[in-house]
Amino acid sequence: MTMIRDRLEAGVKRGGRMRKIGLIVLAAGLCLGPLAALAATQIYDARTKKWVDYDKRKARQYFARNKQVPEAFRRQVVPFRTAEPPGTIIIDGNQHFLYLVQPGGQAIRYGIGVGREGFGWAGIVRVGRTAEWPTWTPPPEMVARDPNAAKWAAGMPGGPDNPLGARALYLFEGENDTIYRIHGTVEPWTIGLDVSSGCIRMNNDDIIDLHSRVKIGAKVIVLMQGAALYKGV
Amino acid sequence: MPNWPSGQATANILKLSIAKKFGLDAEVRELGTISAFVGLDKGEVDIQPEVWRPNFEDLIKKYVTDKGAVVLSERAVPAWQGLCATPEAAAAGLKTIADLSDPAKTAVLDTDGDGRGEVWIGAPTWLSTGIERVRANSYGYAANLTLVEAEEDVAMAAVDAAVATARPMVFYCYAPHHVFELHKLTRIEEPPHDPAKWKIAPADDPLWVTKSSAATAWDTAHFHIAYGAAFGKKHPDIAKFLEQVDFSPEEVTAMSYALEVERQTPPDYAKKWIDGNAARVDGWAKQ
Repeated sequence: MTMIRDRLEAGVKRGGRMRKIGLIVLAAGLCLGPLAALAATQIYDARTKKWVDYDKRKARQYFARNKQVPEAFRRQVVPFRTAEPPGTIIIDGNQHFLYLVQPGGQAIRYGIGVGREGFGWAGIVRVGRTAEWPTWTPPPEMVARDPNAAKWAAGMPGGPDNPLGARALYLFEGENDTIYRIHGTVEPWTIGLDVSSGCIRMNNDDIIDLHSRVKIGAKVIVLMQGAALYKGV
Repeated sequence: MPNWPSGQATANILKLSIAKKFGLDAEVRELGTISAFVGLDKGEVDIQPEVWRPNFEDLIKKYVTDKGAVVLSERAVPAWQGLCATPEAAAAGLKTIADLSDPAKTAVLDTDGDGRGEVWIGAPTWLSTGIERVRANSYGYAANLTLVEAEEDVAMAAVDAAVATARPMVFYCYAPHHVFELHKLTRIEEPPHDPAKWKIAPADDPLWVTKSSAATAWDTAHFHIAYGAAFGKKHPDIAKFLEQVDFSPEEVTAMSYALEVERQTPPDYAKKWIDGNAARVDGWAKQ
Protein backbone atom coordinates (compact mmCIF):
# COMPACT_ATOMS: atom_id res chain seq x y z
CA MET A 1 0.00 0.00 0.00
CA THR A 2 1.38 3.36 -0.94
CA MET A 3 0.48 6.42 0.97
CA ILE A 4 1.29 10.00 1.49
CA ARG A 5 4.96 10.67 1.35
CA ASP A 6 6.04 8.51 -1.54
CA ARG A 7 4.30 10.87 -3.92
CA LEU A 8 6.30 13.74 -2.52
CA GLU A 9 9.46 11.78 -3.11
CA ALA A 10 8.60 11.78 -6.76
CA GLY A 11 8.89 15.54 -6.72
CA VAL A 12 5.38 16.11 -7.87
CA LYS A 13 4.15 18.20 -5.00
CA ARG A 14 5.33 21.53 -6.30
CA GLY A 15 5.42 22.95 -9.75
CA GLY A 16 2.57 21.04 -11.29
CA ARG A 17 2.40 21.26 -15.02
CA MET A 18 -0.29 21.90 -17.52
CA ARG A 19 -1.68 18.59 -18.57
CA LYS A 20 -3.12 18.91 -22.01
CA ILE A 21 -0.57 20.36 -24.38
CA GLY A 22 -2.52 18.89 -27.28
CA LEU A 23 -5.46 21.03 -26.37
CA ILE A 24 -3.29 24.10 -26.36
CA VAL A 25 -2.02 23.46 -29.84
CA LEU A 26 -5.50 22.69 -31.03
CA ALA A 27 -6.82 25.90 -29.61
CA ALA A 28 -3.94 28.04 -30.82
CA GLY A 29 -5.14 31.36 -32.03
CA LEU A 30 -8.73 30.75 -31.09
CA CYS A 31 -8.73 33.28 -28.30
CA LEU A 32 -10.84 35.66 -30.28
CA GLY A 33 -13.36 33.31 -31.74
CA PRO A 34 -16.83 34.51 -32.70
CA LEU A 35 -18.95 35.77 -29.86
CA ALA A 36 -21.68 33.29 -28.97
CA ALA A 37 -22.34 33.70 -25.30
CA LEU A 38 -24.00 30.94 -23.34
CA ALA A 39 -25.85 31.59 -20.12
CA ALA A 40 -23.59 29.92 -17.57
CA THR A 41 -23.18 32.78 -15.13
CA GLN A 42 -25.31 33.90 -12.27
CA ILE A 43 -25.03 37.07 -10.25
CA TYR A 44 -26.46 37.89 -6.86
CA ASP A 45 -29.18 40.51 -6.89
CA ALA A 46 -28.91 42.25 -3.53
CA ARG A 47 -32.30 43.91 -4.04
CA THR A 48 -34.26 40.70 -4.51
CA LYS A 49 -31.74 38.56 -2.61
CA LYS A 50 -31.77 36.03 -5.42
CA TRP A 51 -29.25 34.57 -7.82
CA VAL A 52 -30.19 35.54 -11.35
CA ASP A 53 -28.90 34.35 -14.69
CA TYR A 54 -26.44 36.69 -16.30
CA ASP A 55 -26.43 36.11 -20.02
CA LYS A 56 -25.37 38.02 -23.09
CA ARG A 57 -28.63 39.96 -23.36
CA LYS A 58 -28.70 40.92 -19.69
CA ALA A 59 -25.04 41.84 -19.79
CA ARG A 60 -25.63 44.21 -22.70
CA GLN A 61 -28.64 45.76 -20.94
CA TYR A 62 -26.79 46.14 -17.66
CA PHE A 63 -23.76 47.70 -19.30
CA ALA A 64 -25.86 50.06 -21.40
CA ARG A 65 -27.63 51.22 -18.24
CA ASN A 66 -24.72 51.48 -15.88
CA LYS A 67 -21.68 51.91 -18.14
CA GLN A 68 -19.97 49.28 -16.08
CA VAL A 69 -20.20 45.60 -15.23
CA PRO A 70 -22.07 44.30 -12.14
CA GLU A 71 -20.29 44.85 -8.86
CA ALA A 72 -19.08 41.25 -8.57
CA PHE A 73 -16.97 41.69 -11.69
CA ARG A 74 -15.45 45.02 -10.73
CA ARG A 75 -11.88 45.20 -9.44
CA GLN A 76 -11.82 44.81 -5.66
CA VAL A 77 -9.69 43.56 -2.81
CA VAL A 78 -11.13 40.43 -1.20
CA PRO A 79 -10.06 38.09 1.62
CA PHE A 80 -8.19 35.20 0.05
CA ARG A 81 -6.25 32.75 2.18
CA THR A 82 -3.77 30.71 0.20
CA ALA A 83 -0.33 29.17 0.40
CA GLU A 84 0.54 30.71 -2.95
CA PRO A 85 2.97 33.62 -2.73
CA PRO A 86 1.92 37.21 -3.41
CA GLY A 87 2.08 37.92 -7.11
CA THR A 88 0.55 34.60 -8.11
CA ILE A 89 -2.41 34.76 -10.49
CA ILE A 90 -5.26 32.29 -9.95
CA ILE A 91 -7.83 32.07 -12.73
CA ASP A 92 -11.26 30.76 -11.81
CA GLY A 93 -13.03 30.51 -15.13
CA ASN A 94 -16.18 29.03 -13.64
CA GLN A 95 -16.83 32.07 -11.52
CA HIS A 96 -15.28 34.53 -13.99
CA PHE A 97 -12.75 35.79 -11.47
CA LEU A 98 -9.02 36.34 -11.73
CA TYR A 99 -7.21 36.67 -8.40
CA LEU A 100 -3.86 38.38 -7.95
CA VAL A 101 -2.58 37.15 -4.58
CA GLN A 102 -1.57 39.92 -2.17
CA PRO A 103 0.17 39.75 1.21
CA GLY A 104 -1.88 39.36 4.36
CA GLY A 105 -4.50 36.87 3.20
CA GLN A 106 -5.92 39.09 0.49
CA ALA A 107 -6.18 39.19 -3.27
CA ILE A 108 -7.15 41.70 -5.90
CA ARG A 109 -10.10 40.15 -7.71
CA TYR A 110 -10.90 41.10 -11.29
CA GLY A 111 -13.86 40.08 -13.42
CA ILE A 112 -13.01 38.15 -16.56
CA GLY A 113 -14.61 36.80 -19.69
CA VAL A 114 -13.59 33.27 -20.59
CA GLY A 115 -13.98 30.74 -23.34
CA ARG A 116 -17.30 29.15 -24.07
CA GLU A 117 -16.00 25.98 -22.49
CA GLY A 118 -13.78 27.56 -19.92
CA PHE A 119 -10.08 27.97 -20.54
CA GLY A 120 -9.92 24.56 -22.18
CA TRP A 121 -7.18 23.37 -19.87
CA ALA A 122 -5.98 23.57 -16.30
CA GLY A 123 -2.57 23.71 -14.77
CA ILE A 124 0.32 25.95 -13.91
CA VAL A 125 2.07 28.29 -16.31
CA ARG A 126 3.86 31.60 -15.94
CA VAL A 127 3.81 35.06 -17.42
CA GLY A 128 6.47 34.79 -20.12
CA ARG A 129 6.19 38.30 -21.50
CA THR A 130 3.81 41.22 -21.60
CA ALA A 131 2.93 43.85 -24.17
CA GLU A 132 1.33 47.27 -24.20
CA TRP A 133 -1.24 47.80 -26.94
CA PRO A 134 -0.38 44.41 -28.44
CA THR A 135 -0.58 43.48 -32.07
CA TRP A 136 -3.31 41.00 -32.93
CA THR A 137 -2.73 38.42 -35.65
CA PRO A 138 -5.87 36.47 -36.53
CA PRO A 139 -5.44 32.72 -36.85
CA PRO A 140 -5.47 31.29 -40.39
CA GLU A 141 -8.91 29.72 -40.01
CA MET A 142 -10.36 33.07 -39.02
CA VAL A 143 -8.61 34.74 -41.94
CA ALA A 144 -10.11 32.14 -44.24
CA ARG A 145 -13.70 32.68 -43.14
CA ASP A 146 -13.82 36.30 -42.10
CA PRO A 147 -13.01 39.10 -44.58
CA ASN A 148 -12.53 41.56 -41.73
CA ALA A 149 -9.95 39.31 -40.18
CA ALA A 150 -8.34 38.69 -43.56
CA LYS A 151 -7.56 42.39 -43.70
CA TRP A 152 -5.27 41.90 -40.72
CA ALA A 153 -3.69 38.63 -41.78
CA ALA A 154 -0.27 40.17 -41.34
CA GLY A 155 -1.16 41.60 -37.93
CA MET A 156 -3.39 44.38 -36.66
CA PRO A 157 -1.43 47.15 -34.95
CA GLY A 158 -2.22 47.81 -31.32
CA GLY A 159 -4.75 50.49 -30.54
CA PRO A 160 -8.21 51.22 -29.19
CA ASP A 161 -9.94 49.02 -31.79
CA ASN A 162 -7.57 46.09 -31.44
CA PRO A 163 -9.42 43.09 -29.95
CA LEU A 164 -6.52 42.36 -27.60
CA GLY A 165 -7.16 45.65 -25.88
CA ALA A 166 -4.68 47.73 -23.96
CA ARG A 167 -2.33 45.08 -22.60
CA ALA A 168 -1.61 41.39 -22.96
CA LEU A 169 0.11 38.89 -20.68
CA TYR A 170 1.54 35.95 -22.63
CA LEU A 171 1.36 32.62 -20.80
CA PHE A 172 4.36 30.35 -21.13
CA GLU A 173 5.05 26.80 -20.12
CA GLY A 174 8.76 26.66 -19.51
CA GLU A 175 10.23 28.67 -22.38
CA ASN A 176 7.35 27.92 -24.73
CA ASP A 177 4.49 30.28 -25.51
CA THR A 178 1.23 28.43 -24.90
CA ILE A 179 -0.50 30.87 -27.28
CA TYR A 180 -2.94 31.66 -24.48
CA ARG A 181 -3.11 35.22 -23.25
CA ILE A 182 -4.74 37.33 -20.61
CA HIS A 183 -5.67 40.45 -22.52
CA GLY A 184 -7.89 43.50 -22.61
CA THR A 185 -11.03 43.83 -24.65
CA VAL A 186 -12.92 46.41 -26.63
CA GLU A 187 -16.15 44.75 -25.45
CA PRO A 188 -16.15 45.33 -21.70
CA TRP A 189 -19.75 44.18 -21.38
CA THR A 190 -18.56 40.62 -22.07
CA ILE A 191 -16.85 40.42 -18.67
CA GLY A 192 -18.61 37.74 -16.64
CA LEU A 193 -19.58 35.74 -19.72
CA ASP A 194 -18.33 32.72 -21.60
CA VAL A 195 -17.64 34.31 -24.92
CA SER A 196 -14.49 33.25 -26.70
CA SER A 197 -12.74 29.93 -27.18
CA GLY A 198 -9.94 30.09 -24.74
CA CYS A 199 -8.22 33.31 -23.71
CA ILE A 200 -8.98 35.39 -20.65
CA ARG A 201 -10.29 38.85 -21.34
CA MET A 202 -10.50 41.76 -18.94
CA ASN A 203 -11.74 45.27 -19.38
CA ASN A 204 -8.96 47.65 -20.39
CA ASP A 205 -8.72 49.47 -17.07
CA ASP A 206 -8.30 46.15 -15.28
CA ILE A 207 -5.71 44.69 -17.63
CA ILE A 208 -3.73 47.93 -17.38
CA ASP A 209 -3.90 47.65 -13.59
CA LEU A 210 -2.96 43.96 -13.61
CA HIS A 211 -0.15 44.55 -16.08
CA SER A 212 1.30 47.24 -13.82
CA ARG A 213 1.41 44.82 -10.90
CA VAL A 214 2.55 41.57 -12.51
CA LYS A 215 6.16 40.54 -12.83
CA ILE A 216 7.57 38.50 -15.68
CA GLY A 217 7.81 34.93 -14.43
CA ALA A 218 4.74 35.22 -12.18
CA LYS A 219 3.06 31.89 -11.49
CA VAL A 220 -0.37 31.48 -13.07
CA ILE A 221 -2.70 28.74 -11.86
CA VAL A 222 -5.67 27.93 -14.05
CA LEU A 223 -8.34 26.02 -12.16
CA MET A 224 -9.68 23.00 -13.92
CA GLN A 225 -13.10 23.24 -15.50
CA GLY A 226 -15.16 21.11 -13.19
CA ALA A 227 -12.49 21.15 -10.52
CA ALA A 228 -13.15 24.61 -9.25
CA LEU A 229 -16.27 23.03 -7.84
CA TYR A 230 -18.70 25.85 -8.08
CA LYS A 231 -20.94 27.30 -10.68
CA GLY A 232 -21.71 30.80 -11.77
CA VAL A 233 -20.92 33.81 -9.62
CA MET B 1 16.54 15.61 4.92
CA PRO B 2 13.36 15.23 2.81
CA ASN B 3 12.17 17.77 0.25
CA TRP B 4 8.91 18.56 2.05
CA PRO B 5 8.56 21.42 4.52
CA SER B 6 8.03 19.64 7.83
CA GLY B 7 10.95 17.31 7.11
CA GLN B 8 13.15 20.30 6.40
CA ALA B 9 12.01 22.14 9.50
CA THR B 10 12.59 19.05 11.64
CA ALA B 11 16.03 18.47 10.15
CA ASN B 12 17.08 22.00 10.99
CA ILE B 13 15.62 21.78 14.50
CA LEU B 14 17.62 18.58 15.08
CA LYS B 15 20.77 20.17 13.65
CA LEU B 16 20.57 23.21 15.92
CA SER B 17 19.51 21.18 18.95
CA ILE B 18 22.41 18.74 18.53
CA ALA B 19 24.84 21.62 18.13
CA LYS B 20 23.43 23.32 21.23
CA LYS B 21 23.21 20.30 23.50
CA PHE B 22 26.04 18.07 22.26
CA GLY B 23 28.42 20.48 20.56
CA LEU B 24 28.35 18.50 17.35
CA ASP B 25 28.06 20.20 13.96
CA ALA B 26 25.77 18.61 11.40
CA GLU B 27 25.40 19.28 7.71
CA VAL B 28 21.83 19.40 6.45
CA ARG B 29 21.42 17.98 2.96
CA GLU B 30 18.32 17.25 0.90
CA LEU B 31 17.93 13.56 0.08
CA GLY B 32 15.05 11.33 -0.90
CA THR B 33 14.21 8.60 1.56
CA ILE B 34 15.64 5.81 -0.59
CA SER B 35 18.95 7.65 -0.99
CA ALA B 36 18.93 8.48 2.70
CA PHE B 37 18.59 4.81 3.64
CA VAL B 38 21.49 3.90 1.37
CA GLY B 39 23.50 6.69 3.01
CA LEU B 40 22.51 5.55 6.50
CA ASP B 41 23.64 2.05 5.60
CA LYS B 42 27.00 3.27 4.35
CA GLY B 43 27.55 5.64 7.23
CA GLU B 44 27.39 8.65 4.92
CA VAL B 45 24.14 9.86 6.45
CA ASP B 46 23.49 9.87 10.19
CA ILE B 47 19.85 10.95 10.57
CA GLN B 48 16.75 11.09 8.37
CA PRO B 49 13.99 13.01 10.18
CA GLU B 50 10.76 11.73 8.59
CA VAL B 51 10.44 8.13 7.48
CA TRP B 52 6.85 7.31 6.61
CA ARG B 53 5.15 4.04 7.35
CA PRO B 54 3.72 2.07 5.72
CA ASN B 55 5.08 3.86 2.65
CA PHE B 56 8.64 2.68 3.10
CA GLU B 57 7.99 -0.69 4.66
CA ASP B 58 10.21 -2.36 2.07
CA LEU B 59 13.17 -0.14 2.98
CA ILE B 60 12.52 -0.62 6.68
CA LYS B 61 12.48 -4.37 6.30
CA LYS B 62 15.73 -4.35 4.36
CA TYR B 63 17.76 -1.86 6.38
CA VAL B 64 16.16 -1.92 9.84
CA THR B 65 14.85 -5.44 10.32
CA ASP B 66 17.14 -7.55 8.16
CA LYS B 67 20.46 -5.68 8.09
CA GLY B 68 20.17 -3.84 11.38
CA ALA B 69 21.98 -0.91 9.79
CA VAL B 70 19.29 1.66 10.53
CA VAL B 71 17.29 2.34 13.69
CA LEU B 72 13.79 3.82 13.73
CA SER B 73 12.98 5.89 16.79
CA GLU B 74 10.23 4.39 18.90
CA ARG B 75 8.09 7.49 18.85
CA ALA B 76 6.11 8.32 15.74
CA VAL B 77 3.89 11.11 14.52
CA PRO B 78 0.49 9.85 13.38
CA ALA B 79 -0.74 10.90 9.96
CA TRP B 80 -4.15 10.83 8.31
CA GLN B 81 -5.70 10.87 4.88
CA GLY B 82 -9.21 10.84 3.54
CA LEU B 83 -11.72 13.33 2.20
CA CYS B 84 -12.42 16.87 3.41
CA ALA B 85 -15.33 19.25 3.01
CA THR B 86 -15.33 23.03 2.98
CA PRO B 87 -17.74 24.66 5.48
CA GLU B 88 -20.39 25.12 2.81
CA ALA B 89 -20.16 21.47 1.77
CA ALA B 90 -20.55 20.35 5.37
CA ALA B 91 -23.46 22.75 5.80
CA ALA B 92 -25.06 21.22 2.71
CA GLY B 93 -25.11 17.87 4.51
CA LEU B 94 -21.94 16.32 3.10
CA LYS B 95 -20.50 14.92 6.32
CA THR B 96 -20.18 11.17 5.91
CA ILE B 97 -18.96 8.93 3.14
CA ALA B 98 -22.54 7.71 2.71
CA ASP B 99 -23.61 11.28 1.95
CA LEU B 100 -21.39 11.22 -1.12
CA SER B 101 -23.51 8.45 -2.59
CA ASP B 102 -26.64 10.59 -2.37
CA PRO B 103 -27.06 12.43 -5.71
CA ALA B 104 -29.45 14.90 -4.12
CA LYS B 105 -26.72 15.98 -1.70
CA THR B 106 -23.80 15.91 -4.12
CA ALA B 107 -25.65 18.01 -6.69
CA VAL B 108 -24.28 21.09 -4.90
CA LEU B 109 -20.80 20.01 -5.98
CA ASP B 110 -21.68 20.31 -9.67
CA THR B 111 -19.55 22.99 -11.26
CA ASP B 112 -19.87 22.31 -14.94
CA GLY B 113 -23.61 22.00 -15.26
CA ASP B 114 -23.71 18.33 -16.16
CA GLY B 115 -25.77 17.44 -13.11
CA ARG B 116 -22.97 15.50 -11.43
CA GLY B 117 -20.81 16.85 -8.68
CA GLU B 118 -17.03 16.81 -8.90
CA VAL B 119 -14.47 15.75 -6.32
CA TRP B 120 -10.70 16.10 -6.53
CA ILE B 121 -9.06 12.76 -5.73
CA GLY B 122 -5.38 13.69 -6.07
CA ALA B 123 -2.64 14.38 -8.57
CA PRO B 124 -2.38 12.16 -11.65
CA THR B 125 0.99 10.72 -10.63
CA TRP B 126 0.16 9.85 -7.04
CA LEU B 127 -0.44 6.22 -6.27
CA SER B 128 -2.91 7.31 -3.61
CA THR B 129 -5.04 8.80 -6.40
CA GLY B 130 -5.64 5.32 -7.78
CA ILE B 131 -6.62 4.14 -4.34
CA GLU B 132 -9.04 7.04 -4.01
CA ARG B 133 -10.57 5.89 -7.30
CA VAL B 134 -10.82 2.38 -5.86
CA ARG B 135 -12.48 3.75 -2.74
CA ALA B 136 -14.95 5.79 -4.82
CA ASN B 137 -15.88 2.64 -6.72
CA SER B 138 -16.09 0.51 -3.60
CA TYR B 139 -18.14 2.98 -1.60
CA GLY B 140 -20.29 3.65 -4.65
CA TYR B 141 -20.00 7.42 -4.95
CA ALA B 142 -18.17 7.15 -8.27
CA ALA B 143 -21.63 6.58 -9.72
CA ASN B 144 -22.78 10.13 -9.03
CA LEU B 145 -19.56 12.12 -8.72
CA THR B 146 -16.97 12.95 -11.35
CA LEU B 147 -13.54 12.08 -9.99
CA VAL B 148 -11.15 14.87 -10.93
CA GLU B 149 -7.36 14.52 -11.03
CA ALA B 150 -5.21 17.64 -11.03
CA GLU B 151 -1.90 18.80 -9.61
CA GLU B 152 -1.99 19.59 -5.91
CA ASP B 153 -1.25 23.29 -6.41
CA VAL B 154 -4.23 23.56 -8.74
CA ALA B 155 -6.48 21.71 -6.31
CA MET B 156 -5.36 23.74 -3.31
CA ALA B 157 -5.94 26.97 -5.24
CA ALA B 158 -9.40 25.64 -6.07
CA VAL B 159 -10.00 25.09 -2.35
CA ASP B 160 -8.80 28.65 -1.66
CA ALA B 161 -11.14 30.03 -4.32
CA ALA B 162 -14.06 27.89 -3.14
CA VAL B 163 -13.64 29.07 0.45
CA ALA B 164 -13.21 32.70 -0.66
CA THR B 165 -16.57 32.58 -2.42
CA ALA B 166 -18.39 30.35 0.08
CA ARG B 167 -18.87 27.52 -2.37
CA PRO B 168 -19.08 23.83 -1.41
CA MET B 169 -16.19 21.56 -2.29
CA VAL B 170 -15.17 18.04 -1.28
CA PHE B 171 -11.64 16.87 -1.97
CA TYR B 172 -8.94 14.41 -1.04
CA CYS B 173 -6.77 15.66 1.80
CA TYR B 174 -4.10 14.48 4.18
CA ALA B 175 -2.68 15.60 7.49
CA PRO B 176 -0.39 17.00 8.70
CA HIS B 177 -0.94 19.65 6.00
CA HIS B 178 -1.02 23.42 6.06
CA VAL B 179 -4.45 23.51 4.40
CA PHE B 180 -5.91 22.78 7.83
CA GLU B 181 -4.34 26.00 9.08
CA LEU B 182 -5.59 27.98 6.11
CA HIS B 183 -9.20 26.84 6.13
CA LYS B 184 -11.82 25.45 8.45
CA LEU B 185 -12.32 22.01 6.98
CA THR B 186 -14.42 19.06 8.03
CA ARG B 187 -13.13 15.53 7.60
CA ILE B 188 -15.67 13.27 5.93
CA GLU B 189 -16.56 10.48 8.36
CA GLU B 190 -15.86 6.92 7.28
CA PRO B 191 -16.02 3.45 8.78
CA PRO B 192 -12.72 2.69 10.54
CA HIS B 193 -9.98 0.99 8.58
CA ASP B 194 -10.55 -2.73 8.15
CA PRO B 195 -7.67 -4.63 6.56
CA ALA B 196 -10.11 -7.32 5.51
CA LYS B 197 -11.90 -4.77 3.34
CA TRP B 198 -8.74 -3.43 1.70
CA LYS B 199 -7.82 -5.54 -1.27
CA ILE B 200 -5.36 -3.47 -3.28
CA ALA B 201 -3.94 -5.29 -6.28
CA PRO B 202 -0.25 -4.73 -7.13
CA ALA B 203 0.15 -1.30 -8.70
CA ASP B 204 2.27 -2.67 -11.54
CA ASP B 205 -0.82 -4.42 -12.87
CA PRO B 206 -2.37 -2.08 -15.47
CA LEU B 207 -5.81 -3.10 -14.23
CA TRP B 208 -4.99 -2.79 -10.54
CA VAL B 209 -7.65 -0.15 -9.91
CA THR B 210 -10.49 -2.28 -11.25
CA LYS B 211 -9.13 -5.36 -9.52
CA SER B 212 -8.99 -3.63 -6.13
CA SER B 213 -11.56 -2.80 -3.50
CA ALA B 214 -11.35 -0.61 -0.40
CA ALA B 215 -14.54 0.32 1.41
CA THR B 216 -13.21 1.65 4.71
CA ALA B 217 -11.05 4.55 5.87
CA TRP B 218 -7.34 4.56 5.18
CA ASP B 219 -5.17 2.94 7.80
CA THR B 220 -3.32 5.36 10.07
CA ALA B 221 0.13 6.25 8.83
CA HIS B 222 3.11 7.22 10.99
CA PHE B 223 6.47 8.77 10.49
CA HIS B 224 9.61 8.25 12.55
CA ILE B 225 13.10 9.64 12.89
CA ALA B 226 15.66 7.19 11.53
CA TYR B 227 19.36 7.12 12.37
CA GLY B 228 22.31 4.94 11.53
CA ALA B 229 22.91 2.06 13.94
CA ALA B 230 26.65 2.76 13.87
CA PHE B 231 26.00 6.43 14.57
CA GLY B 232 23.82 5.42 17.54
CA LYS B 233 26.62 3.30 18.96
CA LYS B 234 29.16 6.06 18.51
CA HIS B 235 26.85 8.72 19.96
CA PRO B 236 24.47 6.96 22.36
CA ASP B 237 23.59 10.29 23.97
CA ILE B 238 22.37 11.68 20.65
CA ALA B 239 20.54 8.44 19.86
CA LYS B 240 18.74 8.73 23.18
CA PHE B 241 17.99 12.36 22.38
CA LEU B 242 16.48 11.35 19.02
CA GLU B 243 14.31 8.78 20.78
CA GLN B 244 12.86 11.55 22.95
CA VAL B 245 11.81 13.88 20.15
CA ASP B 246 8.02 14.00 20.32
CA PHE B 247 6.53 16.35 17.74
CA SER B 248 2.74 16.35 17.58
CA PRO B 249 0.73 16.39 14.34
CA GLU B 250 -0.27 19.96 15.17
CA GLU B 251 3.37 20.98 15.44
CA VAL B 252 4.16 19.33 12.13
CA THR B 253 1.25 21.17 10.53
CA ALA B 254 2.58 24.40 12.00
CA MET B 255 6.00 23.70 10.49
CA SER B 256 4.42 23.12 7.10
CA TYR B 257 2.38 26.31 7.43
CA ALA B 258 5.38 28.38 8.48
CA LEU B 259 7.46 27.25 5.53
CA GLU B 260 4.75 26.96 2.87
CA VAL B 261 2.47 29.86 3.71
CA GLU B 262 4.63 32.24 5.71
CA ARG B 263 7.68 31.52 3.54
CA GLN B 264 10.03 31.19 6.50
CA THR B 265 13.31 29.50 5.68
CA PRO B 266 13.92 26.19 7.46
CA PRO B 267 17.00 27.49 9.36
CA ASP B 268 15.20 30.64 10.49
CA TYR B 269 12.15 28.66 11.55
CA ALA B 270 14.32 26.15 13.42
CA LYS B 271 16.17 28.90 15.30
CA LYS B 272 12.91 30.54 16.37
CA TRP B 273 11.40 27.21 17.33
CA ILE B 274 14.36 26.30 19.52
CA ASP B 275 14.44 29.74 21.13
CA GLY B 276 10.78 29.32 21.99
CA ASN B 277 11.05 25.72 23.12
CA ALA B 278 14.31 25.65 25.06
CA ALA B 279 12.87 23.61 27.94
CA ARG B 280 11.48 21.07 25.52
CA VAL B 281 14.87 20.61 23.86
CA ASP B 282 16.50 20.37 27.30
CA GLY B 283 14.03 17.60 28.15
CA TRP B 284 14.86 15.65 25.02
CA ALA B 285 18.57 15.91 25.79
CA LYS B 286 18.18 14.88 29.44
CA GLN B 287 20.04 11.57 29.80
